[in-house]
Amino acid sequence: MIRLQNVSKRYKTAAGIRTILDDVSITFPKGHSVGILGMNGAGKSTLIRIIGDAEPADSGRIIRDCKVSWPLGFTGGFQSNMTARENARFVARIYGESTDYVEQFTEEFAELGKYFDVPLRSYSAGMRGRFAFSVSLACNFEYYLVDEALETGDARYREKFRRAFEERREQASMILVSHNEQTIRRNCDMAAILYDGKIEMYDDLKEAMRFYKLLQTRAA
Amino acid sequence: MSREVSLESTGEGQGFDSGMGASAAEAQPGDASPLEKSIEWSDIKGALVTQSRVIHALIMRETLSRYGDHKLGFLWAILEPLLMVTMIASVVSLMRGNSSESMPLVPFMITGFVPFFMFRNTMNQLKNAVASNRRLLGFPQVTTFDAIVARVLLEGGVLLSVFVFMLSMAYLIGFEFRVENPLGVLVVCLCLLLLGTGIGFVLATLIPVMPSVGQVSSLIFGRPMMVTSGLFFTAESVPEPFRGWLLYNPILHLMELMRSYFFYEFESPHGSWFYAGSWVVGTFTFGLLIHQALRRRAIVGL
Repeated sequence: MIRLQNVSKRYKTAAGIRTILDDVSITFPKGHSVGILGMNGAGKSTLIRIIGDAEPADSGRIIRDCKVSWPLGFTGGFQSNMTARENARFVARIYGESTDYVEQFTEEFAELGKYFDVPLRSYSAGMRGRFAFSVSLACNFEYYLVDEALETGDARYREKFRRAFEERREQASMILVSHNEQTIRRNCDMAAILYDGKIEMYDDLKEAMRFYKLLQTRAA
Repeated sequence: MSREVSLESTGEGQGFDSGMGASAAEAQPGDASPLEKSIEWSDIKGALVTQSRVIHALIMRETLSRYGDHKLGFLWAILEPLLMVTMIASVVSLMRGNSSESMPLVPFMITGFVPFFMFRNTMNQLKNAVASNRRLLGFPQVTTFDAIVARVLLEGGVLLSVFVFMLSMAYLIGFEFRVENPLGVLVVCLCLLLLGTGIGFVLATLIPVMPSVGQVSSLIFGRPMMVTSGLFFTAESVPEPFRGWLLYNPILHLMELMRSYFFYEFESPHGSWFYAGSWVVGTFTFGLLIHQALRRRAIVGL
């Protein structure tokens, strides 16, 4: 379970103070994968970074009683002058996993071939995504925080990752941020909508989608 | 008030909620009232376990990136002080015969240069500690503090080994010396390391925000420090009034103390523990405070 209690987050920008989260309280129940819907710039990525403790909130508490992954996304995480192998071992060490196991699993699952021993800076976005997902799968998290990144990589690899994830659905849940309804429908069984600093949880995916469409048309 | 709450609850990287694996194992899923959870020993232990795991991982990474790529990597750590000592020692012995205040020349030089490098190299390494680990700071449990501490430990370890290695080599080659107070020598080394760490904390957090600080610091701490810190002379050999001026430099005090502890033949009236110690404690505290105040901006500022 992950619970946010009265969490607020604001940014000072040139255009004034932007409120991303305004006294938000929400619970992500165990065993459910939650998709977070929100328009561009609503603060979805910030939200997932706060959930993953990669960024502090201004106020409020965040309670995590399980093993939460780092926010998986395009940016963040890996040092680009280190090879995939070194990065994998680094991740294993900081999460207290067996370095050999993580290294081996990642090497097999990511299918990067010779590139596994090449510094990450020469990777394409798709390869980086593949690597990030493989390492995180090797670590056996209970919560995977995914930031849009499911759309990277080719279709075959996306499918492979989804199947691997499906297999461990019993132990692992996902919090997925996306503005793509398709991605959320395929991976999640609940959805939350982030809008104007507030967040609303929907048990029913269909209802969330309907409401999200409504929001989009109203905004446009 | 809000600041307090966020410090406590979001756990700031190493905090108690983010003890990751360790605290996750202890907390029951669906705990009746996790909201009222107070800080317990198991939380502290979990945080310490995470911290040491992270620092271990960072040290491994630093070792690999510094010494792993090229085969000569580790050799260079020894080669630099070795070249310096050989060069300066030969110049000095040509100039004034083979003695410096009755201390054997080569050990005298080694006890100057290597400990000084403990200050200078540590400081230089810390300059980029935050910048070159920026991406890894994206992991919630990796903090700027860890990145800095990892470099200090690595640098201290390497230079301590270099120190022991060079002294043994000098002894084997035939320079007779006996260490008067090894513990004192070690403490002085530690003080130099801490002095470098204190300034390093400031530089590591300030440079990402104000890059010009880096240039100014190399101006002050580069050559001028090396020339005035008594690496190749004793305070006694400098005439007044210059000696008084040089003795404002705490490193000169530490060098005097170092030689007094090292050689039976030498006791310095000039090395003051109080003066040097105040600098060390002051610098270190100042460094930690600056780091605490600016670390968020240091990451964003990159």
